[in-house]
Amino acid sequence: MPERIRHAPLGNKKVKQPNAEVHIITDQCKGCGFCIKFCPKKVLEESQEINARGVHPPKILDESKCIICSFCTAVCPDFAIFVVEKPCKEERHIKHD
Amino acid sequence: MSEKQESKPQNGGEEIRIGVYVCHCGLNIAGSVDCDEVAKFAATLPNVVLAKDNRYTCSDQGQEIMKSDIREQKLNRVVVASCSPRLHESTFRKACEEAGLNKYLFEMANIREHCSWVHLHDREAATEKAKDLVKMAVAKVALLQPAEEVEVPINRKTLVIGGGVAGIQASLDLADTGYKVYLVEKEPSIGGMMARIDKTFPTMDCSICILAPKMSDVLHHPNIELLTNSEVVEVKGYVGNFQAKVLKKPRYVTKDCSACNDCTEVCPIIAPNEFDVGLDIRHAIYTPFAQAVPSTYTIDMNLCLNKDNVIVCDKCIKACERQAINFEMKPENVELEIGTIIVAIGADVFDPSVLPNYGYGRHTNVITSLEFERLINAGGPSGGHLIRPSDMQVPKRVAFVQCVGSRTDRNGRLYCSNVCCMNTIKDSLLIKEHWPETEIYVFYVDIRAHGKGFEDLYKRARKEGVKFIRGLPAKILEDKKTHNLWLIGENTLQKELYKMNVDMAVLSIGLEPRRNSEIVQRLLTLSRTQDGFFMEAHPKLRPVDAATGGMFFAGCAEAPKDIKDSVTQASAAAARAGILMAKGKVTVEAITPISYPEKCKACGLCTKVCPYNAITLDKELQQIKIVEAACGGCGTCAAECPFGALTQSHFTDEQILAQIDAVTEYDSEKKIVAFCCNWCAYAGADFAGVNRMQYPPNVRIIRTMCSGRVAPKFVERAFARGASVVLVAGCHPGDCHYINANNHTKDRVERLWKKMEQSGLDKERLQLLWASAAEGERFASKIREIQTIIKRVTPEEIHKAKRVFEKALEGV
Repeated sequence: MPERIRHAPLGNKKVKQPNAEVHIITDQCKGCGFCIKFCPKKVLEESQEINARGVHPPKILDESKCIICSFCTAVCPDFAIFVVEKPCKEERHIKHD
Repeated sequence: MSEKQESKPQNGGEEIRIGVYVCHCGLNIAGSVDCDEVAKFAATLPNVVLAKDNRYTCSDQGQEIMKSDIREQKLNRVVVASCSPRLHESTFRKACEEAGLNKYLFEMANIREHCSWVHLHDREAATEKAKDLVKMAVAKVALLQPAEEVEVPINRKTLVIGGGVAGIQASLDLADTGYKVYLVEKEPSIGGMMARIDKTFPTMDCSICILAPKMSDVLHHPNIELLTNSEVVEVKGYVGNFQAKVLKKPRYVTKDCSACNDCTEVCPIIAPNEFDVGLDIRHAIYTPFAQAVPSTYTIDMNLCLNKDNVIVCDKCIKACERQAINFEMKPENVELEIGTIIVAIGADVFDPSVLPNYGYGRHTNVITSLEFERLINAGGPSGGHLIRPSDMQVPKRVAFVQCVGSRTDRNGRLYCSNVCCMNTIKDSLLIKEHWPETEIYVFYVDIRAHGKGFEDLYKRARKEGVKFIRGLPAKILEDKKTHNLWLIGENTLQKELYKMNVDMAVLSIGLEPRRNSEIVQRLLTLSRTQDGFFMEAHPKLRPVDAATGGMFFAGCAEAPKDIKDSVTQASAAAARAGILMAKGKVTVEAITPISYPEKCKACGLCTKVCPYNAITLDKELQQIKIVEAACGGCGTCAAECPFGALTQSHFTDEQILAQIDAVTEYDSEKKIVAFCCNWCAYAGADFAGVNRMQYPPNVRIIRTMCSGRVAPKFVERAFARGASVVLVAGCHPGDCHYINANNHTKDRVERLWKKMEQSGLDKERLQLLWASAAEGERFASKIREIQTIIKRVTPEEIHKAKRVFEKALEGV
């Protein structure tokens, strides 16, 4: 539908917000950068620190953007990253009544 | 498609007996043309055995006179000088047939649209022009040959483009009659604009409640094949035998979907829902609204994380119990064979953010009427609670601003959008129904309550306390703290300024042609009016037919209209399409090429220019072969042939040259010889006539089916006979009714320009104009513009051109 959208959504709908906790096992990382490259929400970036294997492991840029697709776990050759869902906070619920 | 005709130019034996009828058309023609004098002049022309003038030639009486003359005076050719052949050629052709004369032995001189109406104040010049036009018609008619039309079977299937209420109604009507219908909709669900509206005026019916059963009927009707998420990408063929290609985009969800909504709950992607104009959210996997048909969900690949077959996120796949999600779906090309097409693409709404004074997009509480519909709708983002966006509170004072984007020559459209007045009145009553304390102000220019039951609704709104204030606000200002709005303007009835404080303002936005209507126009070779809506074949008598045979309009594609009118027009379009298909066959005009094999050198140029690939070259036999059934009748092949081995039936070289010679017999140095294509330029000149656009009377129009028929030798002949200026006019590039035949027009004119330059001639004397059927003013102003060229063309220049092109005078 071609109308241009000018107003922000009113936010009345309940949306379950993914509540992710990203774990990086830094010393297991060999710095291939796959997780950074393939993360669809760009949650990760390369850090400045140097790990036991002498490379820069990834660091978390913005955890709240993570949607727990776990694609990083799937592409990591060294099993150095995984995501868990934190016990649920409250649902985003701004319904007016 | 005609019977093979004699290859000889003219039959020697038969005596040619022409009857000429000059029509007064009441005072339409007689008001500025001396018809009696024209008839007397016609009687002096060669082969004319009788010439009469009468009040209305098209009346029963007028036709009877013509018919009895054909029988008694043994007329074998007839000329009627009256209106445009686009209007009454078929009427007179039928009369000729009834009197036993082949209908291809009839010719019209257009002395109304092209003469009396455009030269209202110059009786002498208009009469002279009418004489010339009659002379041209007489010259052509003498050379006409009888022809038989071939009947082609019609495919009894219809393609309906657009699944709004108009498309739905047209599909259901045709399907109920028993014809197969393909309904193509580009969105994932049918329903269109009507599905988004809360209530309908004037009866206040719930919109989706009356539409949803129809949508479901469409889905379950055995004669309807519904193609959603699909677009028509190519249409070929002609009336009764179209071939359409439809691109069916993948939904990535199969028919097994039970619309349980489990997938959207897990989908992590959130975006504004277009259906709710962004006031609500949706996920990458979604259904636009609860009553969507088909109810199968769709994945929006612009949002989904799984691109190019890489499954990054599999949440929906895991959530779907019925395993209905399939990321490997591919776009499909569906090829359809159809007989008729109904265009029901609807309209878009005006975007008021181009009007800075109303602050739409900047002031949170300024919304459009479409957003209001979603807010007041129980299925909408606020569950039917009227809230204002800034604080989600119920507004106490609401203003409606009318004519936003309509009836204005600045930042908007010139026309009235037809629905906004009643829509606002309906909306104000909806607010009053639920929140009677709300103060409502409607700022208007005129309230147009023209339909059945509309005035009653307007009265009811006033009775309920809705205040109508004449005078649009000049500006809407926002209080930064409270987000309340100030409307400042002038009450033109009381001649005083107002400054009104309201909680929310609703802009009553107008309707616009679809932004993709240009694509549809090119796809189907339709015409559009200056407003941008599609143009009907005749505004009064054929209001749902397109000028192109076998195509019809329904709904807002043709002009803004409300639901009732859209449904009415849709049923009309279905009936018109049904009439064509019920006959089962259609006759195709006998205007196909005629070849003279003895002149053919088998160079193959004609095969290259034919837009329909209807001519093939047999290299071994050194012959061309014409597939008449595939021919569209543009005549480009005849114009291209350098050896005169091809000509077009009913528009032969001799006939057109005879017309040119008739124009240039006297005073040629003051005249413009214009070649106009039937569909755009000639129709545009007709349009100029209908709208009484005045232009100088020295132009003489020769009609060809396509500007591609204009052979260089026609232009050369006109110059060789001393014409001052030659105008070649056709459809805009890309709008050609014969696919791309007018590209060759451009090439030929450019070659002629080059030749003229090399010979030291003023190349401005050959003019090329692209004008659509709606661009009457463009045509008229071109003729005015050409006058300055005529003034500067000297007798020496005319002589020089005569010498340069003298070869063109040889033979025919």
